[in-house]
Amino acid sequence: MKIVIAGAGEVGSHLAKLLSNENQDIILIDENADKLTTLDANYNIMTLVGCPTNFSSLREASVASADLFIAVTPYETDNVVACSMAKNLGASTTVARIASYDYMDPANREMVRKMGVDRLIYPEYLAAIEIITALQHSWVRHWFELHEGQIILVGVRVPGSAQIAGMQLKDFAHTNHHFHVSAIKRNHETIIPRGDDYIQDGDILYITTTRDHVHDLLDLTGKVSHRIRKVLIMGGSKIAVRLTNMAGDDFRFRIIDSDLKRCHELPGKCPECEIIHGDARDPELLADVGLDDTDAFIALTDSSETNILACLTAKEHGVKKTIAEVENIQFISQAEGLNIGTIINKKLLASSSIFQMLLDSDSSTSKCLALTDAEVAELEARPGSKITKAPVKDLRLTRDMTLAGLIRDRQGMLISGNTVIQPGDHVLVFCLSGAIHKVERLFN
Amino acid sequence: MKRNEKHLVNFAQLLRIIGLLMMFEAMFMVFPMLTCLYYGESDWLPFAASAAVTGGIGALLMTRIRPRTGHMGKRDGFLLTALVWIIFSMFGMLPFLTCSLPVSVSDAFFEAMSGFTTTGASVLDNVTGMSHGILLWRALMQWIGGMGIILFTLAVVPMLNHSGGMQMFNAEVTGITHDKIRPRISQTAKSLWMIYLLLTVILIALLWLGPMDLFDSVCHAFGAISTGGFSTESLNIVSYHSVYVKVVLTVFMFLGGVNFGLIFKTVSGNFTALRRNDVLRSYVTAIFLFYILFVISIVCRGQVHSWQDVTINPVFQIVSTITSTGYSSANYENWGSFVLSLMFIMMFSGACAGSTSGGAKIDRLLFLFKNCRNEVYRCIHPNSVLSVRINGNIVNSDLVNKVIAFLCIYMLLVVAGGLVLSALDVPLIDSFFSAFSCVSNTGLGAGITGYGSSYEILPDAGKWVLSLLMLIGRLEIFTVLVLFTPAFWRKY
Repeated sequence: MKIVIAGAGEVGSHLAKLLSNENQDIILIDENADKLTTLDANYNIMTLVGCPTNFSSLREASVASADLFIAVTPYETDNVVACSMAKNLGASTTVARIASYDYMDPANREMVRKMGVDRLIYPEYLAAIEIITALQHSWVRHWFELHEGQIILVGVRVPGSAQIAGMQLKDFAHTNHHFHVSAIKRNHETIIPRGDDYIQDGDILYITTTRDHVHDLLDLTGKVSHRIRKVLIMGGSKIAVRLTNMAGDDFRFRIIDSDLKRCHELPGKCPECEIIHGDARDPELLADVGLDDTDAFIALTDSSETNILACLTAKEHGVKKTIAEVENIQFISQAEGLNIGTIINKKLLASSSIFQMLLDSDSSTSKCLALTDAEVAELEARPGSKITKAPVKDLRLTRDMTLAGLIRDRQGMLISGNTVIQPGDHVLVFCLSGAIHKVERLFN
Repeated sequence: MKRNEKHLVNFAQLLRIIGLLMMFEAMFMVFPMLTCLYYGESDWLPFAASAAVTGGIGALLMTRIRPRTGHMGKRDGFLLTALVWIIFSMFGMLPFLTCSLPVSVSDAFFEAMSGFTTTGASVLDNVTGMSHGILLWRALMQWIGGMGIILFTLAVVPMLNHSGGMQMFNAEVTGITHDKIRPRISQTAKSLWMIYLLLTVILIALLWLGPMDLFDSVCHAFGAISTGGFSTESLNIVSYHSVYVKVVLTVFMFLGGVNFGLIFKTVSGNFTALRRNDVLRSYVTAIFLFYILFVISIVCRGQVHSWQDVTINPVFQIVSTITSTGYSSANYENWGSFVLSLMFIMMFSGACAGSTSGGAKIDRLLFLFKNCRNEVYRCIHPNSVLSVRINGNIVNSDLVNKVIAFLCIYMLLVVAGGLVLSALDVPLIDSFFSAFSCVSNTGLGAGITGYGSSYEILPDAGKWVLSLLMLIGRLEIFTVLVLFTPAFWRKY
């Protein structure tokens, strides 16, 4: 697949590296030659210095023959204009990153499409959804559900005190038929486990299950589900604004921001919230706003380090759920190791939407979740595809992927070695980075 | 990921890839073997044996070694590229050791390295007495080495189509910066090899139409397009007495000195790149200027015996030298020492980067020249902000350091090589000329300086030194030299 990416910022270069590892043909355009030099020398991509909203640059990148055009420059209008130009030059699908809800509004959807923008990525919106899910299911790290929860994948950290800590996986599978351990994240590395692996203290287990059994996991992993009501947000960023607008009445938000000007703007943008001016790293201020009485603490400032440290402080004060925005991908594993509840990363969210487009270009119902070094995807098995030919145990799947569960006739079920996948099934696949193109080949 | 960090170099993976490459080399050895069988020569056996040994060891490495990860970093790229060239020469010398006119190990290695690096310096005095198989193998080595062993592998092995392959590409391809012509490295390699193959086929056909037979056409085509310079005749191209052969070879040696990416773009209809390419323009201008100087010198020396001596002969010699091919057409020794010194300059400069030619590459000299011009201009207008523009793109001025470093080391290598050779009792001029000829991958005979008719006369130690110089020159210095720095083998 030929993919042209406009804008070599954080998201753009992350996507370029990632998609290049997935064996796609990548051309990366940016106006700034310095940003491109190192990428060009070290990654299997082609770079081009030029303005993304310039016809001659787009022609030089042969946008006309591109299967996918992704505009991720820092400016929303540039992205939309670039997509419009690329579409008119002949790109099959165009994707623009946007920064306001306006474009996503169903009322404007048709107009946006007419402008030549096929798909939208709105990282702040995705982040807000992620945060709301995390607040609703406060006991898990990740919560990924398909078809209104017919199949649910949860990521949970196993404390040493849990029943299942130290258990061998095949014993776990014997006693618990309703769970499928899809992956384990241990020491900053995600592995797809086999029967002879052990569950260890501190592992993050990715378990697939159905709706009826998900609550049994609470006992097994020694977790308690808290109802979250009072939420304290540090940093009045775009995500914070989006979140407070989308969350509804379930939660009561308070936002702390150190920038007075920003504080004056916020009441207009999020009418229901209480705004506090001050530095959220100051313990006195935190005590003053009643951190001890808060259910969840969300750190959304620009600095990943500040967010991580503030969450640790909140944890010490007895806050049940902490959520941190961590933009440095290298820090994510560290932050997970430090026992921070949920990590938000805009790059991963953006790449998950792109993966979804790669895997399934016609259906918009499928979902995808990008983790630091793995992806979870929902795929529909096409008639005649390789995956439907034999029972799963005879498919000779490589060790970097696992089939976790499937949805057949709107009914979720787990996959075992003897399951035969039928055409039309929606399958939940967990695969390590670099394997997603293999998965795609199996299904098409 | 964690596992790799403990080791600097992923040796298992390197050996496995080397095994794979050796199997390719064995495959190439089959062609000379078939030639020998066709001509009824006894040399088919050495080739069969060499192919079996090379392929066997390759297959063993390939199947027996199972690397824990396929990860390859910068270091792996450098080391693999340098190692591959050495190992190819080591196994490429086997036929010379075992053929009907066997030579010593030093000679054989020198010959193989000279072939792969497209230097074209030969230790074989009696070329005409060699079997067809050996002659074809010499030509074939140049042809493989011309475009690059690694580039060939990248084109055909999907296994290397990731960022590890990227490192190898950077380590082998010549030039200040490495332009990609397609998004993925394997596509780029494929396109370049397609162009190379296409040019070779056209050249073979054209030569075959002339006085050469098919065998000679193939060998000379391989030697010319790779700008190598091995011939199947002792007297080189002179023995054909054909203007047609000279013209055809001149044109294709010239093309061999042009950036293959540029040829690809032009062939696929992108003429903007051609118009904007000032390296190519300098290349043509340089040839033209040298031609005028050559003619003046030839006329002044009274060496005009026929119309050819002021037209095709000097042009052939200029193109052959500037592209580092090293074919010789007439008795240029008689054209005077001015012509010889002009030839030194051409050997130094080489042709365009990204071509099959050797030398320092015109790109670097042009870049440095433009930069110097800016500096001079700045003496008068100290506040002006100037940039260097090459092929229509502004080049980052940080690269000046890299280019200057390159040229300095290049000169130092010539001096060091010359010193070592003179320590081995080679006459002064010959020492430095041979070293220069090998670093620049030109391979013009030591005959120029009147010291024996081929490189055979050099002492054995000298041949090893020159082999190393050829390798360093072909991989453009840094790839090989970095292996000798402590920083390469240490983490910090």
